[in-house]
Amino acid sequence: MTYLSMQGITKYYPGVVANNAVTFEVEQGEIHALVGENGAGKSTLMKILYGLEQPDAGQIAFDGQQVSIPNPYAAIRMGIGMVHQHFQLIPSLTVGENIALGFETRKGLFVDQKTVNERVQALSQQYGLAVDPTQRVADLSVGIRQRVEILKMLYRDARLLILDEPSAVLTPQEVDTLFDVIQNLVQQGCTAIFITHKLREVMAICQRATILRRGEVVGTLKVAETTPTEIARMMVGSDVDTVQLTSESHPGPLQLQLENVSAEDDRRLPVLKGINLSIHGGEIVGLAGVEGNGQHELLEVLIGLRKLRAGTITIGDTNVTAFDGRKRREHGLALIPEDRNHEGLSNDLTIWENMAVTRYYRAPQSQGSVMRIGRLKDAARDLMKRFDVRATSHDTVVGTLSGGNAQKVVIARELADTPRALIAAQPTRGLDIGAARFVHEQLVDLRNQGVGILLISADLDELLAVCDRLVVLFEGRIVGSLRRQDATREQLGLLMAGRTTEQAGVVS
Amino acid sequence: MKQLQEVARILVTLALALIIGGIIMQLSGKDALNAYQVLWNSAVGTDRAIADTLLKATPLIFTGLATMVAFKAGIFNVGVEGSLYMGAFAAAWVGFTFIDLPGLALITLAFLVGGLAGGLWGAIPGYFKAWFKVDEVVTTIMLNYVAILFTEYLVLGPFFVPGMSNAMSAEVALQAQLPRIISRSQWNPSFFIAIGTFFVVLFMMRRMTLGYEVNVLGTNATFARWAGIPVRRLIVLVMFISGFIGGLAGAGQVLGVHYRFVAGFSRGLGFDGIVVALLGRNSPIGVLLAALFFGALRSGAATMEMFVRIPRDLIDIVQALIIFFIAIDIGFGWLRRRRQAPTEPSEPVAVAPAGD
Repeated sequence: MTYLSMQGITKYYPGVVANNAVTFEVEQGEIHALVGENGAGKSTLMKILYGLEQPDAGQIAFDGQQVSIPNPYAAIRMGIGMVHQHFQLIPSLTVGENIALGFETRKGLFVDQKTVNERVQALSQQYGLAVDPTQRVADLSVGIRQRVEILKMLYRDARLLILDEPSAVLTPQEVDTLFDVIQNLVQQGCTAIFITHKLREVMAICQRATILRRGEVVGTLKVAETTPTEIARMMVGSDVDTVQLTSESHPGPLQLQLENVSAEDDRRLPVLKGINLSIHGGEIVGLAGVEGNGQHELLEVLIGLRKLRAGTITIGDTNVTAFDGRKRREHGLALIPEDRNHEGLSNDLTIWENMAVTRYYRAPQSQGSVMRIGRLKDAARDLMKRFDVRATSHDTVVGTLSGGNAQKVVIARELADTPRALIAAQPTRGLDIGAARFVHEQLVDLRNQGVGILLISADLDELLAVCDRLVVLFEGRIVGSLRRQDATREQLGLLMAGRTTEQAGVVS
Repeated sequence: MKQLQEVARILVTLALALIIGGIIMQLSGKDALNAYQVLWNSAVGTDRAIADTLLKATPLIFTGLATMVAFKAGIFNVGVEGSLYMGAFAAAWVGFTFIDLPGLALITLAFLVGGLAGGLWGAIPGYFKAWFKVDEVVTTIMLNYVAILFTEYLVLGPFFVPGMSNAMSAEVALQAQLPRIISRSQWNPSFFIAIGTFFVVLFMMRRMTLGYEVNVLGTNATFARWAGIPVRRLIVLVMFISGFIGGLAGAGQVLGVHYRFVAGFSRGLGFDGIVVALLGRNSPIGVLLAALFFGALRSGAATMEMFVRIPRDLIDIVQALIIFFIAIDIGFGWLRRRRQAPTEPSEPVAVAPAGD
């Protein structure tokens, strides 16, 4: 008997059909993967299920009854819980206070925190989710915070859990633990919808998978009877072959060097602790690591937005430690920032204005302090052709572009004049497979042209596919360095979790 | 197309404000149609009316442009009023001190020194914002009071003129007094300096690297920093330019209308610049049109008061209604953007919490 049945769900946004007659069915007690590229409509479908959006057409039946879900509160009362990718926790409150928030047990006018905590304790034992209800959330690691989120849903008696890309922020080891937790939940009678785009995870714990593409269901498969290749093909609608480095690297001269680089974060705590890193022309060095181990600060240090406490940065033969970002760029540094919407683009400006930002002030693009706008527009048009940016014209506002095209604008700008060294931070985050492939091809092309590339990524598949050498950043230190041929997913996982090279069994 | 839409929005805002203003008049027992007719005639009906409208518009063009330049960079400069006072006093000082200079030289020098004084005054909060992240709204508001009271002190103390009943400076040299263009109106050539400033600002925003930098900074400051634009210097420079134009406004009033510095003479011309910039939707041409509109309202208001006995406070009501409608418009724009957010599924950051 079908536990959840969403029939013919259609949702229009101005100009887009986000869901077109989507039929989605989940059996009781299964882990059901919902996969699809960005923009395929997974998120919209789940928002409808959780009461955050109302469908324009379609019916939902849950637990044998026709239901309408006007808001998340109604969803929660029915037993539907959602674990968001970005945790909805208040760091200054304790675990128990966070869990009870909005659903407090009262004793007169006051919250009966003791009873709450006892219930949290009982739930955490029942489901094997070890947490201490009296600890402050601010003091917890990301993995534990996620447990708190799950407990929050269980506390509200959720029987159907929606997990929105739960592994995105975890180390490989934490992911394994999460999988154990989910399987345990299911054994105790829960049902789980697992939103992801990582096929490995689908294969690892899901029984069935529903694939969405462009707002429509492509199919629902039994995982045991399919292969990752088949799912990937259904997701993109064609065969995908990922870029894989085949040629040996021929490292040229040193292009970017960090020696003993140390820096403090905004709270004045050491966040980079003596980083040594050398990147030669013609190689791609991958920087692996769980987010929050100093990647962001490292980027700020590299582009001159964060002061060094010690150490030197060299581009080519020039010591650029004292230079600002503009001067570093003039010495051949290019950078694709992590967050293109904030750091990489101005969404309210046009394509040509976004492309001009690194060169508008120099001849021949400007004459004294007057810009030659015609030239800048011509240059933008050429770059759009070269990097296959799909838009009506160079006067299109960047905010209206898809994620892939917006990222191409960033890439086109940064690679326009071939740099000496390129730092690419999460360059494929949020991109669909086609756009990601394009980015990888560009990186490999540049490497073959002799550019030194530092690729910062949270995606091990990406790193293992295109890097010549891998280093791991953990708590502000480089904890391991291995050639790609010697690297395995498991070793990298252990290094990312803070094990030393010996413990990780790395031979280098 | 987009420009047409902008103009349409401005017109709708104005129409609504005037209609509601009319209803208020009607409710208080006056004939609104007649009042508006008088207002229209006394704003643009005769040569003299037009001259008065342009006279009233002149300082508003300056202060509107001054405010707009800062807004464009994402800086909420509420300190144009202060720059205007500093500029006005500095221009007056040049005018009554270097009395041996020939007219054109003296006038040029007075405007330049006035602009410089206003610019430096604006650069102070700019510096604190850029280097110490001090909120410019607070500092510029407070510095307004400092400027108003400091200039008053100057004319009561160091530059006191014996025998003067009010707090005012000596008269500027005769050759520095801008001539009236037509009889029976104070309309004077400072209007053309305002128009010239408009063209300079237009050119700067559309063609110069500085205007481009201002656009980048104003639309996304984080991006500006990551892209290597020297943001701190830019903030100080923008505040200097904003203050400079504010200073020109003061100089224009001194050399063209009062011929001396009078303590407290402005009564909010600098603040009116905020309304002008908002109504003009932060574009140079919009600012020019909005300034002319307010100029017409103000020159018309005096006559309207005389002939149809409608207090000129009505103009303040219309102005308040305009601000009100602009606020609603901005609010709706914000709401629309929020509602449209899910149509851009490829931006997981913006779509949170259930990112795809």
